[in-house]
Amino acid sequence: MAGALTERDFVDKLERAGFAAVTVHSREPVSIDDLALYPLFTQELIELMRALLPPERQGAVATAVVVTARLGRAGGAEAG
Amino acid sequence: MARDLQRSAEIREIVREAYAAVDGTTEAVACKLYSPEELALVPPSAAQRALGVANHLRYADIAPGETVLDLGCGAGIDTILAARRTGPAGRVIALDFLPEMLERTAQAAAEAGLANVETLEGEIEAIPLPDGSVDHVISNGVVNLAPRKRRVLAECARVLRPGGKLSLADLTVGDEDLPAEILAHPATWAG
Repeated sequence: MAGALTERDFVDKLERAGFAAVTVHSREPVSIDDLALYPLFTQELIELMRALLPPERQGAVATAVVVTARLGRAGGAEAG
Repeated sequence: MARDLQRSAEIREIVREAYAAVDGTTEAVACKLYSPEELALVPPSAAQRALGVANHLRYADIAPGETVLDLGCGAGIDTILAARRTGPAGRVIALDFLPEMLERTAQAAAEAGLANVETLEGEIEAIPLPDGSVDHVISNGVVNLAPRKRRVLAECARVLRPGGKLSLADLTVGDEDLPAEILAHPATWAG
């Protein structure tokens, strides 16, 4: 999650890579309780989040998005 | 530049170690993201190790006969569901950098009776497939883990045929950074 982009940056990078018709279909807030379902997030980290994040942010630490796009007819644009 | 590459290697190693350590004994994530009808189509072993962040397949227009690439297949739940949709005339290439995950996906495909699933070991920043060889790229909760996201998306564009489809689920964040103590925690990079 530390490497997650903002939605704006994510869409921008897709378009720069040559994708068109980029569409964000869903946006679901991800809470600390949601993160705790994943074994990748250690108990230590979950507790750290509960201690450091303000209550209003604990229900939406990140957003899970679904994005679809199509590659332009000319193919990819940027190798980054 | 050298420092950036070193940091990229560190992040990759953190992610690799975290995912290799997952033993997977809960269907909590799968039950949150997939319908009972979808879960009925996958072996329990795949559902119990689901680590995706959303259900992108609800929006993915996967047609029979397509060649689909599952980028970072994990234990294979999305691979299995996609392979059901492509049918025997199509195929799903399940890519992951962890041999353990590929073994789990192959086992799940065998349990599901699917002969149209191929596993492929490789990095998402250097996909070991030819240009224009794929109709549809799917991925669930993986791009955010990559140190070089532009490179990942460029690789998706390279392996897709012109006009090919991309269906991704991933985490995004707001403009406000998380506290430094959280960002510095290795598990924040792996999850």
